[in-house]
Amino acid sequence: MSRISPDFLPQLLGGMVTNFEIAAIALLLGLAVGGLLTWAKLAGGVLGAIATTLIGLMRAAPTFVVMFFLLNIIPSDASLLGVNVAPSGLMTVALSLVPYAAAYVADNGGEALKQLRDGSPLGALLFLPNVTRAYFVLVMSSSAGAAIGVSEGIAVILREAERMPTLGDKMVLFGIGIVCFGITLQAGFALIRLLQHRLGRLALRSRQG
Amino acid sequence: MTVRPGLFAALFWLVLLVASGGRAETPDAALETLLGEARSAAAAPGACSQPGLDRLVRLYCTGKIRIGVREYYPLFGTREGQERLGYDVDVGRAMAKRLDVEPEFTRVNAASRIPLLADDKIDLTIATMGHNAQRDSQVRFIRPHYYQSETTLVGPKSLDIKGWSDVANRTICVTVGNGSNAQIVAHNARLMLFDEAGVLPDRLRDDICTLAAQDDSFFAYYFTDPRFADRFDQKFGFAQVPWGMAVAPSGSDRLARALDLISQIFLRDGVFLRIAQENRIGTAFLERQREVWNRPDCNTATGSKDRACVLPALTAELEPTPFAARVAAFEDWIEDRLGIDLQLPMFKTMPAWQLFKDGIANSLILVAGALAATLLFALLLGAAQSARLAVVRWPARTLTVILQSSPVVLTLVISAAVAHALFPYSSAVAIGAAIVALGLMNGSNAGQAIAEAMQSLRTEQGGGAASVATGLYGRAVSRSATQIVSFLINAAKGTPIASFIGAPELLSALTDITSFASGRASTYSLLLVFYIAVVIVVVWLCGKLRLWLERRQVAA
Repeated sequence: MSRISPDFLPQLLGGMVTNFEIAAIALLLGLAVGGLLTWAKLAGGVLGAIATTLIGLMRAAPTFVVMFFLLNIIPSDASLLGVNVAPSGLMTVALSLVPYAAAYVADNGGEALKQLRDGSPLGALLFLPNVTRAYFVLVMSSSAGAAIGVSEGIAVILREAERMPTLGDKMVLFGIGIVCFGITLQAGFALIRLLQHRLGRLALRSRQG
Repeated sequence: MTVRPGLFAALFWLVLLVASGGRAETPDAALETLLGEARSAAAAPGACSQPGLDRLVRLYCTGKIRIGVREYYPLFGTREGQERLGYDVDVGRAMAKRLDVEPEFTRVNAASRIPLLADDKIDLTIATMGHNAQRDSQVRFIRPHYYQSETTLVGPKSLDIKGWSDVANRTICVTVGNGSNAQIVAHNARLMLFDEAGVLPDRLRDDICTLAAQDDSFFAYYFTDPRFADRFDQKFGFAQVPWGMAVAPSGSDRLARALDLISQIFLRDGVFLRIAQENRIGTAFLERQREVWNRPDCNTATGSKDRACVLPALTAELEPTPFAARVAAFEDWIEDRLGIDLQLPMFKTMPAWQLFKDGIANSLILVAGALAATLLFALLLGAAQSARLAVVRWPARTLTVILQSSPVVLTLVISAAVAHALFPYSSAVAIGAAIVALGLMNGSNAGQAIAEAMQSLRTEQGGGAASVATGLYGRAVSRSATQIVSFLINAAKGTPIASFIGAPELLSALTDITSFASGRASTYSLLLVFYIAVVIVVVWLCGKLRLWLERRQVAA
């Protein structure tokens, strides 16, 4: 098998950090936009109808297309009050994930508020594991950044794979990638299960109390 | 035998007449005559103050020629303080010297080199300008051409790429609007677009681009850097474009004629070649041209008009669609009424229109295929994960965990790599690989939901002997309807990512179109609307499917 370059693993881990950064930015923005949409939806009337329509459109927008849309409609020299506001590649990927994150937050946030109003604060707290789940979905989706030259984990793997002469060598490399991302994802799911378990015990205690 | 002396005299004069009439006028002689006439015209009293003066005569009135050159094009036109350097600059100096006037340089760039001629701010532009048929209506190009560039493909030395057959399914970094992009697209390569050529060498260095295509004249500078030259080389060249000096189309007839003749003489005598060698740029074109202009049939005063000697302009215009004029009128109407700069390049040229139609058809095939594959893999993997035999159950579960752990792009790349190992590259293979990958990713998750539903049904039945064959499996499918529908929608939403492995769906087609045409904002807005509409239709259809499955569950 052809040699994997010695700096591959550090580069892969560095790239995965970028995936986590993208997901974190997207989730924070998604929480802000999704929170506003939830509030508007619950307000009802025209505002609620607009929010519901927006959430529907955001849910339907494919992330990959949104990424290319943002990349091409924002000029590279865009400025606001003299400050360059053109997003970097990393930021473009993060922004492309915001419609998904916001729609997800709006859906789950609405459900959480409903639980709260129905007198089930623990039901409302399920929002936390749901948001954690969304974060890991965003980490995996951020690999789309490879298509626009963002040096995230998958881009590092694909760069290294270009140097591999045989399919077998490439498969070994891809396997390493799956293991690295898989460990992350499974750890995330374990965290979600732990959160749900804790919340379940809390619910049991409150019922007994 | 005696011959009359009168006959000798007649023959002598006949030979002399034929010899003088048969020898064409040399370009040198024609140039001297032309310049002599211009000097005389300029010397005539009051001639220099007359309106409509030919620019050649005006040169001798002012004693200088105003030349537009670039300042930020390494090896061709750069400026260090007051000193101008580069091939174009030295060509300008040599032309001025031959005309016996002083050169006065003015900075131009790609956008200003033609308008400055039209505004009479400069007499001559020598600014890395490719000669295409479209520009023939804007300026008068000097022929023969003083240089020729081509698009060159640059990549790591370790990468074995010799021709077009090696670039299919590879990503090539290019700049938006480069005329040669259409040719790259035609060879099934994917494009990664950048606004500025200046970033391409950096993207090669930091490995974001494996291959980059740009003018060889642009990369020539970077190959003077030993570190760059150690890592990268030129794979092959294509899309040759002759470069032309140019003058204004009106009032420059005699100036253009003089420059034609000087250019011809300089090519013949190797003057341009020597300047190119001094500036360390490629010389293959100039060496070939020296041979051409030393040929007797070309080395004449009319050689620069002889199609056998001069190169044709590049025909860069694409065939328009039958409705291009109406589309342009619609764009104008929108701009007039709404002030929106709408551009619809996909409807205006035949290559773009064909790409657009194929892109829509392929997108719909991809969506339909991804939905069918998701459903199929969901049912298969659901059944396998519900099987009582561990030898069937565990491989299915392992496959599901692997697929869940792999980011979508990686799964697609793996699917494409396997497909390309089995079949030669084609659009159909790329679409097929994408359908399988999307189906496996979403189907494995939906299959897991079916297996969990199956488990819950078995528990409810107290672990009876129910099996897949008894109909319990059908109820499990109905019970997991919400999850199945959710992953079907996810599959439809994921289809545009197939462009990453070269599937020619709409995103890929529009990226190709915008690489050689304008209107990126309008094009990508249209793309977003298309995919949102497709997903909304899929959501509606999936809603119907869920209702049907839920009714089945109630009935059961």
